Amino acid sequence: MATESSEGDEESKIVVGNQQLVVEESLREMAKQAAWSVSSCKPGNGVLSLRDDNLESFWQSDGAQPHLVNIQFQKKVKLQLVVLYVDYKLDESYTPSKIAIRAGDGFHNLKEIKSVELVKPTGWVYISLSGNDPREAFVNTFMLQIAVLSNHLNGRDTHVRQIKVYGPRPNPIPHQPFQFTSREFITYSTVR
Amino acid sequence: METILNDCVQNSLRHFLYHNAIFMCERLCAEFPSETNSQLLAACYLQGNQAYSAYHILKGTQQAQSRYLFAISCFQMNLLSEAETALCPASEPSSEVPNGAAGHYLLGLIYRYTDRIRSAVNHFNQALSIDPLFWAAYEELCILGAAEEGTAVFGEAASLYVQKQYSANGLASQSMLASTENKNLVPAKNLNLHDPSPRQVKSMHGTTLKDNSANYHGTTLSGGASSNFVNGGFANMSFCSTPSPMAAQISAVAPPPIYRNMQGNGPNPSLLGADGSPRSTINSTMPAPRRKFVDEGKLRKISGKLFDSGPRRSTRLAGELGPSTGSNATSVTGNGTSHSSRYLGGSKLSSVSFRSVTFRKGQARTSENFDEGVQHESYDDSHQSMTSTTTSSLACDTKSLEEGILMATGGAIMSESQAITGASELVTLLAILGEGYRLSCMYSCQDALDVYLKLPHKHYNTGWVLSQVGKAHFELVEYLEADRAFSQARLISPYSLEEMDIYSTVLYHLKEDMKLSYLAQELVSTDRLAPQSWVAMGNCYSLQKDHETALKNFQRAVQLNPRFAYAHTLCGHEYVALEDFENGIKSYQSALRIDERHYNAWYGLGMIYLRQEKFEFAEHHFRKAFIINSRSSVIMSYLGTALHTLKRSVEGLVMMEKAILADRKNPLPMYQKANILASMENFDGALEVLEELKDYAPRESSVYALMGKIYKRCKMHDKAMLHFGLALDLKPSATDVATIKAAIEKLHVPDELDDTL
Repeated sequence: MATESSEGDEESKIVVGNQQLVVEESLREMAKQAAWSVSSCKPGNGVLSLRDDNLESFWQSDGAQPHLVNIQFQKKVKLQLVVLYVDYKLDESYTPSKIAIRAGDGFHNLKEIKSVELVKPTGWVYISLSGNDPREAFVNTFMLQIAVLSNHLNGRDTHVRQIKVYGPRPNPIPHQPFQFTSREFITYSTVR
Repeated sequence: METILNDCVQNSLRHFLYHNAIFMCERLCAEFPSETNSQLLAACYLQGNQAYSAYHILKGTQQAQSRYLFAISCFQMNLLSEAETALCPASEPSSEVPNGAAGHYLLGLIYRYTDRIRSAVNHFNQALSIDPLFWAAYEELCILGAAEEGTAVFGEAASLYVQKQYSANGLASQSMLASTENKNLVPAKNLNLHDPSPRQVKSMHGTTLKDNSANYHGTTLSGGASSNFVNGGFANMSFCSTPSPMAAQISAVAPPPIYRNMQGNGPNPSLLGADGSPRSTINSTMPAPRRKFVDEGKLRKISGKLFDSGPRRSTRLAGELGPSTGSNATSVTGNGTSHSSRYLGGSKLSSVSFRSVTFRKGQARTSENFDEGVQHESYDDSHQSMTSTTTSSLACDTKSLEEGILMATGGAIMSESQAITGASELVTLLAILGEGYRLSCMYSCQDALDVYLKLPHKHYNTGWVLSQVGKAHFELVEYLEADRAFSQARLISPYSLEEMDIYSTVLYHLKEDMKLSYLAQELVSTDRLAPQSWVAMGNCYSLQKDHETALKNFQRAVQLNPRFAYAHTLCGHEYVALEDFENGIKSYQSALRIDERHYNAWYGLGMIYLRQEKFEFAEHHFRKAFIINSRSSVIMSYLGTALHTLKRSVEGLVMMEKAILADRKNPLPMYQKANILASMENFDGALEVLEELKDYAPRESSVYALMGKIYKRCKMHDKAMLHFGLALDLKPSATDVATIKAAIEKLHVPDELDDTL
């Protein structure tokens, strides 16, 4: 992650985004199991553009701030990382500058878990959802909401080109308290 | 004019010039419309891969041979019900199945694919009784789990039967041979001892039935088959299907001039070739030359060598069939005429000598078929010098040990003694192979391996046997030995695709991504249309955890051959990895529909239900898998886990013990046992087991984590802390890190009850 964190444990400044999307192998993308929705959009630049793996297409909001992206799962899932692709060079005043991430059971009880401030980012921006406590490596939740609170240069609407959400891989062997790490165990652990 | 056209067609077929053959045959049919000529045309179409044309021509015909060819075309076009009615018309329930053993075999396949297992078994048994050297039928029986012991099937009776055939033939041929005494006629027999086909079929992985049937009938293989054909040159060889000679044999009354009748048409060596399906022709031509010219004198001389030839016969034949060896062989042939005989065209020897071609399926016992053994004999004779080449050809020989695609040409000049020794040797060889195959289908893999070791060296070092050995090791979870056997098999027959899907799974288990990707690339470049290549590709991607692409590849394999059960199972595994359980269940069930004895699919279903916490279902499915393969320690350990979740922990423990005994190298049952003991609150027992496990797998973090957990429950905080620390050092997955760290934090809150750590 290209993060320069400041002192405060609530906020961190992210100056530049990565061009490559590099994620640990132990994480996998969770977005397919979710229902995505946005608070508003311009026709032709809707929520599909957030998930189409195409960095040329983007979502453009069309309403009052804050602009929201809602990700709702059918069951409680463990989430660890949120990655956004934004580009100041292309979007200028549409580029988000303050982003808050909220989690909860539904629209009624979302609580903010992370807040970041971006400064002219170009590329993938990684936002980790882990707390400082090693016990809180994941956020276990039904719903995640990504709120764009303000944009660069005080723009009203925002462009986001892609969003990906990551969580841990499940244990390939059900009903095991721990996952196996050594080769001998893994070789014998399944029939293929 | 009719004969001229006929010769023309036969000649073209022999030389694999299907376009020419089809054209000339159409003229023949137009000029002299008759059912036999239509059969010839249909055969041309089948060999030229146009089963649909053959279908339309033969629709409604009644002659036995026509019905047989029609059934083959229906089978290749996947119109199983029509094929069935053709072979076994509902209106005449007691009519004889055309083409004897071949017909029964085809009917058996149809029943198998329409889920009428008992009738299928019945027909395969009948096919075997008509033709005791019918390997493909025996293979099918093994797959269905209904085979008798190899020594029983390929035993005395078979040997006697074969000898009888040969002596009968020998006499007949002697009479046939006009001026043959000096001519060396080699009864060529297309023995496709269905070896290849069995292999094909057997791999339930869909090798094409068509192949089998094709071989069987000498009809062309359908697309899938052709791919096999293409790939496994040798394997294909085996497929040399003789053109429906069977029918000819059976309806001795009016043997169609074309193939079968070699006897009648002395001067038609091409007939021999023509008979077989393209492949067979290939094969037949190759071996033919060799065979043919065995001097009578030589034959006698060679009778002494019968013994050696025994085991090598088939291999030799098979090997010889291999294109590469073929030429060598022929050149080496003492007879010299081999090359020319190959083309049969000109050599007078060939003209004189050709006898009818035998149909592959051993059915040909009727008259002309010479026993493979016999052929071998002649082979042997002619190729004394070729022993070395034959051994090399053995190397090329893929799986078709028994292939012996011999074109029976010419009268056999087999003497009785030759026939007897040849037959018994062949039968012993088949008995060993059959027994080995049967045992591996029953998953008594250790016994199967022992049986295969009894084979003579030359046979052991062939692609088929080595692949079977590899597969047996795979089932025993001995992946390193399996890897070794398979790589040797690949050295010997680099173009064979049989069982390569299993090899790719072995490499997947060993996590050898370099070797696996190399294998996959090689297979795809060998044949893009073979399902095994795509299975290997899929395994490659799956190893990289790219499950979506892996799934795509497995689906391609399924598309290429919908009867390939393993591809369906692998699709299921990928769906599960993607957490799409519904589709996973569907895939596993389609695999089971194709092959009920595919224990991997039962296991897969059990895993899904275990994940979904439907424990009863899980236990049921694991038990089914266990019944099929009772020696797999992995299945036993999962069955134990399922029992434990059903609160039948005592039974679960018993099962775990069995699993531990079954395979000392498998750490999983011990771990599960410790788990069960811990949940039954037998902490000391659990710790004991875990200590043992620590020695076995010192770098496994879950062992320490579990020990830490148990110590925590026993309130031995220091030890717990120590073990948690060790577990963390061994770099477990992120989830586990979180769990362990949380546990550590809670260690110092002794009052807190924390079941899940």
